[in-house]
Amino acid sequence: MLDYLRLEVRRTLRDAGFVIGGVVMPVVMYLLFTNLGDGADNEWRTASMIGMAAYGAMGSALNTGGGVAEDRSIGWLRQLRITPMSPRQVVTGRALTGAVTVLPAIVAVLVAGGLVNGVRLDAWKWAVIALLLWLGSIPFTLLGLGNGYRLTAQATGVMNMVCNLTLAMVGGLWFPLSLFPGWLRSLSSYTPTNRFAQLGTSVADGHAPALGAVLVLTGWLLAFGSYAVVSYRRTARTV
Amino acid sequence: MADTTETAETAAEATAGGAADQAVSFAGAVKAFGAVRAVDGVDLEIARGETVALLGRNGAGKSSTISLLLGLNEPDEGVVRLFGGTPEEAVRAGRVGAMLQDSRPVPRVTVGELVAFVAGTYPAPMPVAEALELAGIAELAGRRVDRLSGGQTQRVRFAVALVGNPALIVLDEPTAALDVEARYAFWDSMRAFTRRGHTVLFSTHYLEEADANADRIVVIDHGRIVADGTGEQLKRAAGGSLVAFDLAGAGPDGLADLPGVVSVEVRGDRARLRSDDSDATVIALAERGAIRALEVAPASLDDAFLALTSTPASTPAASRTSLETV
Repeated sequence: MLDYLRLEVRRTLRDAGFVIGGVVMPVVMYLLFTNLGDGADNEWRTASMIGMAAYGAMGSALNTGGGVAEDRSIGWLRQLRITPMSPRQVVTGRALTGAVTVLPAIVAVLVAGGLVNGVRLDAWKWAVIALLLWLGSIPFTLLGLGNGYRLTAQATGVMNMVCNLTLAMVGGLWFPLSLFPGWLRSLSSYTPTNRFAQLGTSVADGHAPALGAVLVLTGWLLAFGSYAVVSYRRTARTV
Repeated sequence: MADTTETAETAAEATAGGAADQAVSFAGAVKAFGAVRAVDGVDLEIARGETVALLGRNGAGKSSTISLLLGLNEPDEGVVRLFGGTPEEAVRAGRVGAMLQDSRPVPRVTVGELVAFVAGTYPAPMPVAEALELAGIAELAGRRVDRLSGGQTQRVRFAVALVGNPALIVLDEPTAALDVEARYAFWDSMRAFTRRGHTVLFSTHYLEEADANADRIVVIDHGRIVADGTGEQLKRAAGGSLVAFDLAGAGPDGLADLPGVVSVEVRGDRARLRSDDSDATVIALAERGAIRALEVAPASLDDAFLALTSTPASTPAASRTSLETV
């Protein structure tokens, strides 16, 4: 299964679309949004760094589902079914691929924050933020897998993009929530993306993530997880 | 041909030995998709070491049969066994390798990476270099799979199927969409592999391909097996050879009664006899002195195929042609 993980990670990193959309874009957007006009205050430089890292991680996590849809359409999943690998190993390998491929986006944006934008945090904070963003990306991997197992390759691409953009904007990953009208701000607090970024910002502010954030994210984890399982079961019969 | 006969006998002996000795065993397998019975009561035994062609038109049920064999689908009725166990067990144990139809290469990996990965999933694979060599793509190891020609891609898929060194290898229309040259090259590779004693099942809709590369041809139509035997037996089943000669003014009287003659057709001054024993027919003609412009030609496999598969779908499964008695 580790060989499978290695193969899939290689494939993902060689995908120009993944590298540009999942790693380069969040870094560029982060640097643009924090340096345009008068520049940003320190607080926004840090919050936006975490928001954009979350945005990149989400894009990469969803991309895992795109890979699954592609594998289905070219018959690769069928081919895997007639190797001695068990279906469980295949699915686990795919999920682990998602876990590994979110790391470049997180690391790239945090590095840009530290080196280019001069964000200063305690060493432990950097580590914990990276870890929480990594763990917090799991629900999005599951959402992507749900799409990838259910939809065609093309539809998965579109669906992932819609999920990605909607969740990023409504969740306040691009712009500070304080710019939102009140009703959107309360809606935002129920999105997985908002709570995902909140994991990181709480740590940057020096306290543990709020219980609310953990609860909301856990709820989404269960919802997207069920979605992925149902989609997989539906597909397993036809793959 | 001598080899073929021997293999057929070995196969017959193995059949008597029971299902556990068989590489492949179908008993009354049925698979329906909606109203269509894609596999409609298939009984099939393939002994270890046999090379069998599954021959049929597009939509005859070849791929559905292969899906059942590989455990990709479950039969609605009947039983499918590989090496005495379920297809899943055989696949998990690494005894099966397959080249599926319509599968495109995985993008963004090299040939070597892909084949090495598949090898790693099997318990006792052959060295990757050996598999690439057998498939005739040793020089492509470092190339990206998604940047190859159609023929090269097909050979990569072949390497993927054989690198696990499986006891049974299944090839679903391996040469579809290949040009003639690539097709010949592919079968050369395939023969090098079968010489090692593996069991091979391949599907095709090219008769010549089945005849040239298989010990045994299983003809499938409307989800049923309509014939099973060597290419020679298939030809005989369709009425044997064609004997033609000039009547030179003599009438066709009595020709139908000559030994071996199945049917008589007269076109102008030329008689065309279909015979299931062309030697006897020719001797009888010689005795009559009717040998002007004599021509003996084997019935084409195309004739045989058309004769065997023109059965309407409603015919009961019992109509399966028994080639042994032909």
